Amino acid sequence: MTTDGDRQNAGSDPDSMDSETRPDGAERHPGTEDDPAVSGPEEGDGKSLTEARTPDGRVRWKWGLRVAIVAAVLGVITGAISVFGLEWGVLPGVGAFVLALVVGVVHALLLYRTWEYQVREDALYLERGVFTHVKTVVPFVRVQHIDTSRDPIDRLLGLSSLVVYTAGSRGADVTIPGLTPTDAEDLQDRLKMLAKESTGDDAV
Amino acid sequence: MRLDPLSIPYRIAENSARIGGAIVIAGVAGSGGSGGNILQGAAIFLGIAAIGVALVAGWEIAYHRRFRYELTADTFDIESGVFSRRDREIPYRRIQNVDIRQNVVQRLLGIAEVRLETAGGGQTEAQLKYVNREEAGRLQEEVARRKRVDEPGAGDREDEPPAETLYAITPRELGILGVVSMDLRLVPLVLVALSVFGPAAITSVLPEIDQWFVIGPLVGVGTIIGLAILSGVISMLQYYDFQLRSHGDEYRYERGLLQRYSGSIPVEKVQTLSIRENVLARWLGYASLSIETAGYAPGQGSGARSQSAIPIAERDRVVELARSIEPFDDVTFERPPQRARERYAVRYLLVALVVIAGAYAVTLLPDVSGPWYLSALLLPIVPVAAHLKWRHRGYYLGEEYAITRNGFWSRRITVVPSYRVQTVLSSRTIFQRRRRLASVVVDTAGSSSLMGDDAVAADIDAERAERLREAVADRLQEAIGQRETLD
Repeated sequence: MTTDGDRQNAGSDPDSMDSETRPDGAERHPGTEDDPAVSGPEEGDGKSLTEARTPDGRVRWKWGLRVAIVAAVLGVITGAISVFGLEWGVLPGVGAFVLALVVGVVHALLLYRTWEYQVREDALYLERGVFTHVKTVVPFVRVQHIDTSRDPIDRLLGLSSLVVYTAGSRGADVTIPGLTPTDAEDLQDRLKMLAKESTGDDAV
Repeated sequence: MRLDPLSIPYRIAENSARIGGAIVIAGVAGSGGSGGNILQGAAIFLGIAAIGVALVAGWEIAYHRRFRYELTADTFDIESGVFSRRDREIPYRRIQNVDIRQNVVQRLLGIAEVRLETAGGGQTEAQLKYVNREEAGRLQEEVARRKRVDEPGAGDREDEPPAETLYAITPRELGILGVVSMDLRLVPLVLVALSVFGPAAITSVLPEIDQWFVIGPLVGVGTIIGLAILSGVISMLQYYDFQLRSHGDEYRYERGLLQRYSGSIPVEKVQTLSIRENVLARWLGYASLSIETAGYAPGQGSGARSQSAIPIAERDRVVELARSIEPFDDVTFERPPQRARERYAVRYLLVALVVIAGAYAVTLLPDVSGPWYLSALLLPIVPVAAHLKWRHRGYYLGEEYAITRNGFWSRRITVVPSYRVQTVLSSRTIFQRRRRLASVVVDTAGSSSLMGDDAVAADIDAERAERLREAVADRLQEAIGQRETLD
């Protein structure tokens, strides 16, 4: 604690201390981390129970619909201001709608491409994010409870989401969107079992 | 058992004062109907006020009569409520902290407020307003004892070790606390307020003034000094006669001059430790220690501020005490790579350029002129600031602990035991991706993360972040495995 060295490559490198348990770390070739599909721990570390999965493609429609609703509201507000307030006609409203729709849809498509989840031996692993790319590890020992939820758009498209709760303050609710209802329930049962197996007398 | 009888007059006074405004309004309205006769008006006013107080008094007497608490074999039972009754049974196991607080008046009356805190939700589970001071101490003691008995396989620990004082603040430390906790965060706000309202206020006091270049800075500097002294004095009052004792499975603290607080920190619920040192404290060689427990940080009752287990002590001593709670080894922090420093430099450079451009833009306005180019003095600060930010960041992963360090103005070292890890996440913003950097957040159930005080290894190499994330998760599994074999 009192030493304040500047060792860049020794000592606290997690890999050097952990080399027996995680031999794969060294094999990861540099330069791959910009591609979410190849980075991450799924490349043959033997710890995962399933392959990395992506949400169902229909979730793009869900996100798209949501974007369309937001864009429509935005367009109506802009249109109203422009027609009644500034007397510029309806064009700014239409423009705002189209712009918001395009930006939102592109974002939704990109987001879908980054989304990935994986059931590992002892943890749930998730990856997502367009601007900020986030990878989360949720150990099963820490799972408090697991919900499935379906909002109206989900029901329309035949989708379901899984929400995993932990006592942590940040990852308190980890959501996996775009599952089919049966998949969601299977996954819920499976995670429940895994969470139960990995005992831990107190979850906090 | 019942609340202390003295709580009745105190509560009557307290709640009458609280609804005093309403009583006064009703009284004024009532006396308004007297048709201008002052004596009659005053009589009506006093009458209404008396009725108001009498109602409060009746309520408080009923409250006292209908409030009962009891320590049963395994629950703390509370029956309360005048009209709608509420019976609660709180298992001792679930009670995390028993806090006692007393303000000056309460101390004169010898009564105290007892708060029972449980995990989950930042809310106080139950309050006893108010019991005898000795009774409050007894409750704290009893709950702690029964909690231990309640726990499986704990029967053999009946003979608890005597309480041991771990830390008591010295007058010298209290003085240093006053100096280092001078809080300047309000300064920008105050300066804005001063620049808006200040001139009018000053001319109203001294109408003949024209020396604004002298008066303005003088008032500004005076206000800043005043604020700094005030915040220093406030923390000295808060931490006056601070004591930390180890007491079986708990740490107990007591503090405060005007309002006396006493609380407990259960050892087995400790989530993270934070060692904080701001610039001034660092320069003087002092630091503070705070302990975050699950769902509830000790002493966090009213304010959102995380309060310290050790408000101030010499750095070595703080580290030593922290180690007695969580025995972490010597730590060598690994700093982020140097390209992180470039990132900060670019970020600060952009801020500086915006400020300079803003200053220049202001001079383009009619009737405004001034040495806008003086704002270019920000430029030489940029590399210094970037370097300092970079220099004070770091992380360390030990066998049983993940430790992070962040912040120049107020440096915070967060110690997370592997066993307390909840989730681990690594994140990369667009700007971080450009420089192959990433941040790893180790999340715990400690409540300080609600305020964004997580343990973050910020801007470390992306490859290393991947491995760190996995290593922290693995350490958690190992720690849990070890705990199981121990049981």
